[in-house]
Amino acid sequence: MNNMHGIIFSYEKQTGLRELLEHRVHGSIPFATNYRVVDFMLSNMVNAGIRDVGVIMHGKCQSMLDHLGTGKSWDLSRNYGGLTLLPAFAYAERRGSDGRFQGKMEALACVLDYVRRIRQDYVVLADSDVVINLPLQEVLQSHIESGAQMTAVCTDVLGEGNDTYFQMDEKGRITDTTYQVYTPSGYRCLNVFILSKELLVNLVTDCMAHNRYSFRRHVLQQGGLDLHGFVWKGYSAHINTVESYYQRSMELLNPEIRAELFCAERPILAKENESPSTYIDPTGTCVNSLIGDGCDIQGDVKNCILFRGVRVEKGASVEGCILFKGTVVKKGAQLRHVIADKYVTVSENVQLVGSESYPMLLARGSTV
Amino acid sequence: MKKECVAMLLAGGQGSRLYVLTGDMAKPAVPFGGKFRIIDFPLSNCTNSGIDTVGVLTQYRPLELNSYIGNGQPWELDRLDGGVHILPPYQSATGASWYKGTANAIYQNIGFVDMYDPEYVAVLSGDHIYKMDYADMLRRHKEAGAVCTISVMEVPWSEASRFGIMAVDGEDRITEFAEKPKEPKSNLASMGIYIFTWKKLREYLLADEQDPNSENDFGKNVIPAMLNAGEPMAAYRFEGYWKDVGTLDSLWDANMDMLLPGSGLNLLDKKWPIYGRTPSCPPAYVGEKADVGNSAVAKGCDIRGEVKNSVLSYNTVVEEGASVSYSVLMPGAVVKKGAKVQYAIVGERACIGAEAQVGASPETVADPAQWGVTVLGPDSRVAAGEVVAAKTMIDRTHGEG
Repeated sequence: MNNMHGIIFSYEKQTGLRELLEHRVHGSIPFATNYRVVDFMLSNMVNAGIRDVGVIMHGKCQSMLDHLGTGKSWDLSRNYGGLTLLPAFAYAERRGSDGRFQGKMEALACVLDYVRRIRQDYVVLADSDVVINLPLQEVLQSHIESGAQMTAVCTDVLGEGNDTYFQMDEKGRITDTTYQVYTPSGYRCLNVFILSKELLVNLVTDCMAHNRYSFRRHVLQQGGLDLHGFVWKGYSAHINTVESYYQRSMELLNPEIRAELFCAERPILAKENESPSTYIDPTGTCVNSLIGDGCDIQGDVKNCILFRGVRVEKGASVEGCILFKGTVVKKGAQLRHVIADKYVTVSENVQLVGSESYPMLLARGSTV
Repeated sequence: MKKECVAMLLAGGQGSRLYVLTGDMAKPAVPFGGKFRIIDFPLSNCTNSGIDTVGVLTQYRPLELNSYIGNGQPWELDRLDGGVHILPPYQSATGASWYKGTANAIYQNIGFVDMYDPEYVAVLSGDHIYKMDYADMLRRHKEAGAVCTISVMEVPWSEASRFGIMAVDGEDRITEFAEKPKEPKSNLASMGIYIFTWKKLREYLLADEQDPNSENDFGKNVIPAMLNAGEPMAAYRFEGYWKDVGTLDSLWDANMDMLLPGSGLNLLDKKWPIYGRTPSCPPAYVGEKADVGNSAVAKGCDIRGEVKNSVLSYNTVVEEGASVSYSVLMPGAVVKKGAKVQYAIVGERACIGAEAQVGASPETVADPAQWGVTVLGPDSRVAAGEVVAAKTMIDRTHGEG
């Protein structure tokens, strides 16, 4: 038990994830065979001793609701507190909107009653689409030692222009926050923040009073706050486009990245299932691949990520593919650089070829 | 609240014929098939059959089993009313004793069963690998108007004298029971799975306890007593996969059966799922130089070497140049570079050093009597380059002093 409370944002936003978001919000995108992206942030929180977590969601949150359930997979099923699901339904009317959030401050305003009742002194605000194994306890420690009003986790690994970037002084104070820059520089924001509950309530009520909704524009860029940057030197991945999803997934075939992301001291917890072991047939081959449980491999699998219960029939060959739960690749089919969403069937002898820089994406439940 | 049927699962035996594997844990807690433990089969059968109240009778080294079962959640046996209960022997006003036999174990827990006031009680073993619908067996019990129904399966006549054999009449009513008969009258073997009408069983248990000559055992005492008294007893014919994994050979066989398409042990079948409790692990990784064939691989495995005809449990490691064949690696086992493992059961967290050789194939052993599965106990260590012969068993003290 520590003095932190977790809030995870998992509502729809503009991304390049195309069909992957047809049935879900970005946090519930399947990742690394037996996880959903949100599992990483939830596990980070639980591993730091956080026992109360609220997940703010709206839109296509059915898969997220189904995934999180009572929170027992993360040991967050509690009589009091634990995991609290915060869908927008109850708040939409009060805000006079259709329940879509224009920004994090509006989302928080919609759950202000919840925020007010937080019993811990510190709150972690985090996005649900960051793949990271982050020791939040260390971030809190650094936040307290810095004496700053708010700490933002960032990395010196630069990314795309439409990420948020910080400039910092030598003491780690954030001096400037920029967005949609032509040439990224400084530190890239990882959208994980720690601040006191009191400050959070003040910021939310102040933003509501001024009809401001954006965390980045109306809080980070507003000025007047003492902001501290926590520079994370380890691995992180932001899942925001189909291409980044593919690249980030394939990176997991690198043992060093896996060792860091799935380190034994801070295990990433997933919703458990009853699948038995995967079976690899004598006729099948499987090399350099990550395999979930319950697969049936009779064909050739190379450089792939297979989720639970995937079947690759005899004579089929898949290479450089990411196949979600329940995908069936029938006899003689050939797949190169394909992402198949859940329950896709690829018929006999079909050939599908995507490219590494632009993988072919098959929508959930489709038959090719 | 009243229940129609309560299951009592006998899980107290030591399982001494599994030797080093049950040195620290009861037999039902022994890992099986990569992601399971033996007890997952009867527990999952209960859930799948609609039985929501299960007493697990423990006695020998119950700690591993207790923590594994926990609140019963993985088997959906965490219920508001009923659910799974661990039942060790306990003290009472008149004294205390260990469970003297299978029947005595139930006798000592008459109070537990009475709390649920059931019509029927299923008595199950904690050391069988099988999928059975107890609801179907209960239907047979009711239709036959029996006091006791025993599930039986046909075994080859040549092997019948190794089992408890039931002779039946034209309506599959049991007429005779013989334990390991020299001249079997039938080839219907008891599977050690019983359904009793509780009111009747309760009477027989009380009587059996009064008999100073009784071994307080179902097979030896209670069933013969019921037969002698002329109680209606029915056989329930079971067809499908069933194996008593009480010996090292049968445990190894049953694991290998998982890899055999025709064996009938299909764990991928979604209609009758087997549940288990496993830790969160990252996905299994099969490396660039790995060569895996006819094998079961569970999450958390890291395979860089050759794996053939083997069952790899979660979190096992097979390093580059190592080879594993016809073997069962239990959770957390490690096979270092260049080591060769064949026809072996490798216990939990056991580590096989580089270039070591464990086990041998039957063809390489001149005298068939000298061949057998090699077994490494949990946490045992095989030194680099060491050779462990066929039919050898080592435990965690191996190599010390």
